[in-house]
Amino acid sequence: MADKFIVSSSPHFVKKESVASIMWTVNIALIPAGLIGIGIFGKAGAWLIAVCVFAAMATEYIIQKGRRQLITVSDGSAFMTGLLLAFNLPAHCPLWVGAFGSFFAIAIGKQAFGGLGRNIFNPALVGRAFLMAAWPKYLTVFNKPFVYDVVTQATPLSLLKEGKANSMVDMGLTYWDLLLGNKGGCLGEVCVLALLLGGIYLLYKKIITWHIPLSFILSVAIFTYIFKGDPLFHILSGGLALGAVFMATDYVTSPITKTGQVIFGVVCGLLTGVIRLWGGYPEGVCYAILIANTLVPLIDRFVKPRRYGMA
Amino acid sequence: MKKLLREFTKGIFKENPIFFIVLGLCPTLAVSTSVNNAIGMSAAVIFVLVFSNVIISMMRNIIPDKIRIPCYIVVIASFVSIVEMVMKAYTPELDKALGVYVPLIVVNCIILGRAEAFASKNPVLPSFMDGLGMGVGFSLALLIISSIREVLGSGKFAGYAIPVAFEPASILILAPGALLVLGLLMGGIKWIKSLRS
Amino acid sequence: MDQVLAILIANIITNNYILFKFMGLCPFLGVSKQTKPAISMGLAVIFVLLISGIMTWAVYAYVLLPFHIDYMRTVVFILIIASSVQFIEMVILKISPILYRALGIYLPLITTNCIVLGVTVINTEEFFSKGAPIAWSFAYSVLQVFAAGLGFMLVLLLMSGIRERLELADIPEALEGLPIAFIIASIMGLAFMGLLGMKI
Repeated sequence: MADKFIVSSSPHFVKKESVASIMWTVNIALIPAGLIGIGIFGKAGAWLIAVCVFAAMATEYIIQKGRRQLITVSDGSAFMTGLLLAFNLPAHCPLWVGAFGSFFAIAIGKQAFGGLGRNIFNPALVGRAFLMAAWPKYLTVFNKPFVYDVVTQATPLSLLKEGKANSMVDMGLTYWDLLLGNKGGCLGEVCVLALLLGGIYLLYKKIITWHIPLSFILSVAIFTYIFKGDPLFHILSGGLALGAVFMATDYVTSPITKTGQVIFGVVCGLLTGVIRLWGGYPEGVCYAILIANTLVPLIDRFVKPRRYGMA
Repeated sequence: MKKLLREFTKGIFKENPIFFIVLGLCPTLAVSTSVNNAIGMSAAVIFVLVFSNVIISMMRNIIPDKIRIPCYIVVIASFVSIVEMVMKAYTPELDKALGVYVPLIVVNCIILGRAEAFASKNPVLPSFMDGLGMGVGFSLALLIISSIREVLGSGKFAGYAIPVAFEPASILILAPGALLVLGLLMGGIKWIKSLRS
Repeated sequence: MDQVLAILIANIITNNYILFKFMGLCPFLGVSKQTKPAISMGLAVIFVLLISGIMTWAVYAYVLLPFHIDYMRTVVFILIIASSVQFIEMVILKISPILYRALGIYLPLITTNCIVLGVTVINTEEFFSKGAPIAWSFAYSVLQVFAAGLGFMLVLLLMSGIRERLELADIPEALEGLPIAFIIASIMGLAFMGLLGMKI
């Protein structure tokens, strides 16, 4: 009975949130995009998600056991890392690649820094960047949506990059296709509608605020508009929705202050735009966020929160 | 005799320049993409290290203290220039593969470090052994890192394809891969050391 | 114009001297624990680079090549660099003795900083052809040394922010200190690779 009393100093606020509740809420928000992704690309996607999630949780369990620490696998953060990594991979990516990526994401991207709350880089993106450098050929082959056999199709952004199609008409797509997911792409990034709905749910639950997603997406839109791209196309393509709502908003790897968050979002957006329009890769959300992650400690250092009593 | 042998072996294990004193990293990581390059660089470094140690030791009582660092640098740079010219003449492909990292042997902290820390204070024969030991230690570390990178990164060893059961991870051939391998190796060695004590 | 942009982007980001060429790792690991010394070191290196870059170019173009003694490049360059560092030491001592003491041993160590010798040698390889400077050689050389220095300072600055934050983290003992620094540099390198192939 005694341990039901929480002894602490004032202020004695009690909220229902805990690390686990936050993480699992985000995982729930990701379910629609995942289910629709599986629906679009077939059961290979389901296997990929299962393997990535399992590998992530297993890695965390083994490492924490080895370091004789409290096992925190049930807090849902490893689950989320595995899930987000799977979402960032093509649905037909070989399972061993996904497993290795999860392992790297958790072991190096998270535990090597000291575990939850200490990592500098978004673990799922660390895993993805690692895989892209290690076995690029598995990460750059995408599938035709709704054809469950392995028939490849280039993503809209790669068609744009290679100059094979300069507008959506050439690609045979409409804005609805882009919104709903009728296009080639990674497992969890294609159904923008599901991701946005998940984002609205998170906003409602006050897990995330609008600052990062909005500044990120708006920066991409304005940048592409200035440089003669199609802003709506860019907002609805690639990993932007997934990145802006779920990955850039990760508490640990984004700034603390609201101003800092807006700066972070703008940096992400600008880098994404630069890579998409002028860089060698067709999509840049993953790298943009990772580069912005390196700036976060400096942003937090120089953007001070408003102090009580000061004007 | 035993003392001389100790000067030699300390460079290989206890005071391995790469893993423990952490010097001379530039060339290590850059040329460790293939074992052949590693062997070439090792040979060059051993040559320069040994000869500059010897010469500096011979001159240790003549060099004025105030300008000793520039003097060491000139001695080292001369030997490096010799290596550069020999490589360009007799092993041009190796020279091309190692590129700018050959002249960079001049600023390889190991060589200047040993000159300052040892050769300037000790007679010729111990300096010779020290240089040799450090050079061998450097080469050993370099070979370990290159083997890992070449085998796991491209499925080859010394240029010969070896049948591997896994798909080579091309990240190891890239720069970030080198930093990763070095970081993990150092961590691994630290861990093994802590297990022993 | 393309060439200018290519030099800037390559030297600062995609072929960054610390993350991709592995030059300047010693000061990088030594000075990157806090932000203030990191900025000072970065500026000092840029200054040395500018002075050495200009002088080495001039000596190579007007002395070494015409007299066919370009095999003396390594010796001559390193002497020029050592002198520039001496000069900068005196300047810093005069302007700000506190800064001089803060930088400590790392200031004279700029001499052995692979970046300075590295980029000056690279300049002679890239911007000279068949024993003579190419068009705009001097301008490109100065731009390249400046960009290399900027890239060095950028990575140093980012790293210092990260390492300051990690002071409070519970890093596994085996990885504390240098190993995690290398791992961070590795991930930074992976991230910077995203900007490969830039063409405006």
